[in-house]
Amino acid sequence: MKRYGEHRFPGKLFVVEGIDGSGKSTQLMLLHQWLQAEGYGVVFSEWNSSPLVKETTRRGKKKQMLTPATFCMIHATDFADRMEHNIIPLLKAGAVVLCDRYIYTAFARDVVRGMEPKWVRELYGFAVKPTAAFYFRVPLDVAMKRILNGRAGVKFYEAGMDLDLSEDEEESFRIFQGRILEEYEKMIPEFDLTVVDAALPIEEQQAQMRQIVKAKLAAAKRLRVAP
Amino acid sequence: MRETYGVVLPDLNLAELTGKLIVVEGTDGVGRSTQIKLLKPWLEQQGRAVLDTGIKRSLLASRGIQQAKEGHTLGRITLSLFYATDFADRLTHGIVPALRAGFVVLTDRYIYSLMARAMVRGVDPAWVRNAYSFALKPDAVFYLRIGVVDLIPRVVFSRGFDYWESGMDIHPSEDMYESFLKYQTALLAQFDTLAQEYNFEVVDASPDIRTVFERLRAGIARVLSGEPREPLFAVAAPAAETEQATTAKVVEMPAASERAAAAEKTDQGSVSQALAKAAEGDASR
Repeated sequence: MKRYGEHRFPGKLFVVEGIDGSGKSTQLMLLHQWLQAEGYGVVFSEWNSSPLVKETTRRGKKKQMLTPATFCMIHATDFADRMEHNIIPLLKAGAVVLCDRYIYTAFARDVVRGMEPKWVRELYGFAVKPTAAFYFRVPLDVAMKRILNGRAGVKFYEAGMDLDLSEDEEESFRIFQGRILEEYEKMIPEFDLTVVDAALPIEEQQAQMRQIVKAKLAAAKRLRVAP
Repeated sequence: MRETYGVVLPDLNLAELTGKLIVVEGTDGVGRSTQIKLLKPWLEQQGRAVLDTGIKRSLLASRGIQQAKEGHTLGRITLSLFYATDFADRLTHGIVPALRAGFVVLTDRYIYSLMARAMVRGVDPAWVRNAYSFALKPDAVFYLRIGVVDLIPRVVFSRGFDYWESGMDIHPSEDMYESFLKYQTALLAQFDTLAQEYNFEVVDASPDIRTVFERLRAGIARVLSGEPREPLFAVAAPAAETEQATTAKVVEMPAASERAAAAEKTDQGSVSQALAKAAEGDASR
């Protein structure tokens, strides 16, 4: 079993991280389109999307039966399935794999939920190290505004309501996301995350991202999608 | 006070867990559930409240695991983690509350079966140990041990070959009989290693149901009476031999020659065999 580390597969792996409302998904979508236009074989993989596991996760969330331990482990299971059946084979095949959230999401959330940091990092030891991991740093207030304007409301676990931080959903969300931000900040040096200022105009962030991705892909074998 | 194998889950006060946690371990078809069916009423007659639980019985994950296994596409790490999720759910929602209430928890398998299965599939042993290090250390582990030759009629003649029990996911090209033999042999070797590491009390599972039951009963009675004994989970040191000899008096270990053979097998390194398998698996990556 390969422990977390540099892979030698021909493909490349780019991941985006950040709290809800940081704009990371938008940025990844723009990157995706650009890479496709450039002729790369691009595959997208989203947090919490394994067909084998997501039904169980949904059940646990709907019935609010997840504890910090099971919340952590069901997400690790989901991630493992995507890693084993999706991400690794695709990297071997030479694809550019884009992940919306990666292991750092788990490290942040699970540690805030009280799981031991070292234990969680070991648990995800089977993950492949990304070619680059972009962290979209955004002030809490900005993210809150984006989330609360754009959605009907925040979900139970998104707001960290399982942690009894506050009776009020919005207040709980603020405290919970604030703690997640702190975890992300600690991980920047630990995992060499590439920080993007998510308060900048969208096109400016995208330009920065493309520049970095372009440099990483320069050496890579270019797999064109069938004409 | 109760301990874990490493990390303690959030909001878990170990001092509150006053009940007894008793594990019955063993490979597929060895008669674990039959024994637990006998042990539960026996304990209840003595006025003990009993929770019986077993792997893949969680409210959260059992259905998902079942469905995922039907597809035969589960990767080995995914499989391990799915079972670990099931275990964590049963631990926090079943075992822990019962121990807090002073129950005797009888569990049909525990983390050891899950660890053995993962390691036989080539998953890194250090990773496996870490993943399950939140588990509570039980008061006793009774390991129903049987040779693979004795196992065949029990499993195959009653319910036929099962895809996963035959390890078809790791030996896909073999016929099911060959695969079953290989897989269960590797699994038993893995159990023997774990038996030493975690100081299982080995119970020979080859005699009739009644005899095995009597041996288990004697062992459990001793655990419940709180008779002083050597620490169960001491890391296998030179002293381990005498410890095992002590438990042997009560539950009767397999014949000395058989134990020696088992020990020898362990010395040859079932772990390194598993690792070699892992390397084979990784070669394709």
